[in-house]
Amino acid sequence: MNAAPTERSAAARAVSALVHQPYIWAIVALALLLIINLTKNPAYLAVSVNPATGDLSGNVIDILRASAPVMMIAVGMTLVIATRGIDLSVGSVMAVSGAVSMEFMQSSGSNDLGSAVLAGALALGISALLGTVNGILVSVVGLQPFITTLVMMLAGRGLAKVITAGQNTSATNDAFRWIANGTILGFPVVFIIAAAIVAIIAVLVRRTALGLMIEAIGINPKAARMAGIRPIGILISVYIVSAVLAGVAGIFATASVMTVEVAKTGMTAEMDAILAVVIGGTSLAGGKFSLTGSVIGALLIATLDKTIVYLSIPSSATPAFKAVVIVIVCLLQSQRVRAFFSQRRSSTTRTTKGAVSA
Amino acid sequence: MARSARFRSIAGIALAGAMALGITACSSGDSGDAGGGDGEGLVTVGFVAVGPEGGWRTANEQNIQDAFSTENGFTLKYAPATNGDQNSQITAFTSFIDEGVDAILLSATEATGWEDVLKRAQEAEIPVVLLDRGIEPDDTSLYTSRIAPDNVGISTSAAEWANEQFPDGAKYVVLEGPPGLSVVNDRNKGWDASIADNFTKVESQSANWSTEEAKSVFETILKANNNDIQLVFAQNDEMGLGAALAVEEAGLKPGTDVKIITIDGTKAALEALAAGRLSFVAEYNPLFGEDAVSVVNKALAGDTVESSIVVASTTFDSPEAAQTALPDRKF
Repeated sequence: MNAAPTERSAAARAVSALVHQPYIWAIVALALLLIINLTKNPAYLAVSVNPATGDLSGNVIDILRASAPVMMIAVGMTLVIATRGIDLSVGSVMAVSGAVSMEFMQSSGSNDLGSAVLAGALALGISALLGTVNGILVSVVGLQPFITTLVMMLAGRGLAKVITAGQNTSATNDAFRWIANGTILGFPVVFIIAAAIVAIIAVLVRRTALGLMIEAIGINPKAARMAGIRPIGILISVYIVSAVLAGVAGIFATASVMTVEVAKTGMTAEMDAILAVVIGGTSLAGGKFSLTGSVIGALLIATLDKTIVYLSIPSSATPAFKAVVIVIVCLLQSQRVRAFFSQRRSSTTRTTKGAVSA
Repeated sequence: MARSARFRSIAGIALAGAMALGITACSSGDSGDAGGGDGEGLVTVGFVAVGPEGGWRTANEQNIQDAFSTENGFTLKYAPATNGDQNSQITAFTSFIDEGVDAILLSATEATGWEDVLKRAQEAEIPVVLLDRGIEPDDTSLYTSRIAPDNVGISTSAAEWANEQFPDGAKYVVLEGPPGLSVVNDRNKGWDASIADNFTKVESQSANWSTEEAKSVFETILKANNNDIQLVFAQNDEMGLGAALAVEEAGLKPGTDVKIITIDGTKAALEALAAGRLSFVAEYNPLFGEDAVSVVNKALAGDTVESSIVVASTTFDSPEAAQTALPDRKF
């Protein structure tokens, strides 16, 4: 007798908490896209077992698979942006990572698990190195993140071209291919890996003081240092994490076709990452960030990409659609519009929360 | 002092490195020693190129670079576009005019918008030879000659093969390159004119010449049409290979359930044809460096040059044909 009302109020509280999340409009946009697709084909969301391959098959599965690389770079970008930085080099790091792994597997020529693991480790190692350079230039040398990562964006793609001698390199390795195309119990491996990585990072930043420190640096680096936070170490690690995640995204992208296209792999991926972060409600001014929001943003971008093709709209129009979605979602997220929609709980609670965490 | 000087020089090297990857420092190694003094007899040629794009482009640009070698009496300045951006090509083109090169080779990333710079080259009396890609509007007075395989003819042969394979028609999908390219327009033109009336074009979608994009795009198209597609006309090899991957992932057999036509004829495509994953590969012959050399020599000697030179290409329609061609495939 007592249990029912408290449960209901807990559910109601959960719903109201969700409505007040900054990424609620990204969820609404995502739902809208799915509804649009459903009107074209009522079976859009259906997931069936493909009799030929035994895997789960359906548009939703395709979206999950396509969202994995975006999710990786978006999560890394979220942490960087939270420190009031930006990482424009993620797309190029993807290309470098793909180039390194493909070139390694092609020259090793063996189709075993060992060479796949080595290729992946090498790719992630070099990505981490590029991230370290970014981090040192930003934190120790004090260059602006925008300039630092812009240079790395140019240099990285050049590096990818040097590694493969300007060629689009292909390789054959079943284990490596499995990362992007394989399934566990019919479910795409690539999404499972991505989700696991996101979960680990979420635990790392939310269950320890790390997230708080990142936010503190983003809000006021000087005050953070005076409060005993060492910005250099945290900044460097944040750029390394972003680059390593971009490396993972590069492995996902190239493993899916087992080819690195030096001029195309990861092209404009940095834009997708920034968009996913912004859609997810993280402010570009640094400070507060939302990993969940960025994951939803990545899902939204993947869904948008797929929807355009599904509706037979020329895919060259995709950037325009992205622009429209972003403008609308950002408008809806803006304080003024939000205040207009929900006058009961204005931004006061949020600001006090921010002040406490700072 | 010493440290700041060293820092500055390191920064300088880093900056120069970054610039070298952009378009400004476009010349490759050989142009550096040309300034050194072995100059006199060599003809300086600027090559406004597309840069890394795929196997075909690599073979083509390598072939051009080999043909315009120092032994043949040339200094070639190679300027690839930055990520397919036309602006970077125009910048390179203009700087070639300003440097006063003897001739310019141009593979345009985009067809339109070349009138101004081509007029400038004309005023400077620098002959311009278009390689592979044409310009629009196709004003032959603006350039000396265009050397290219015949895109319309190649896609016509692809359509004729499709007509033979599917006498009762079929549902097909076209995977195109980026919209606006003359290559894309020509390949569409030849195909659309020759494909039989009983064929249904389900979809025509750009996948930007990319395997990764083609795979993603075609997987969605298959879902949207319940796998009811019999034929794919991929306008380059890379996209065709991407489509084949998507077909395999859908649990179908490329070559049997979905026939795939590609254009270009790179080694990777012929290997896939030999393995039965592609069905028809139309070559778009990239090896015309020798033709380019003779055109440039003629133009510089003041001889008349034909405004359009067609490079002969062949087609491969069976695994056997691919197997015979593979051993001495150069690209």
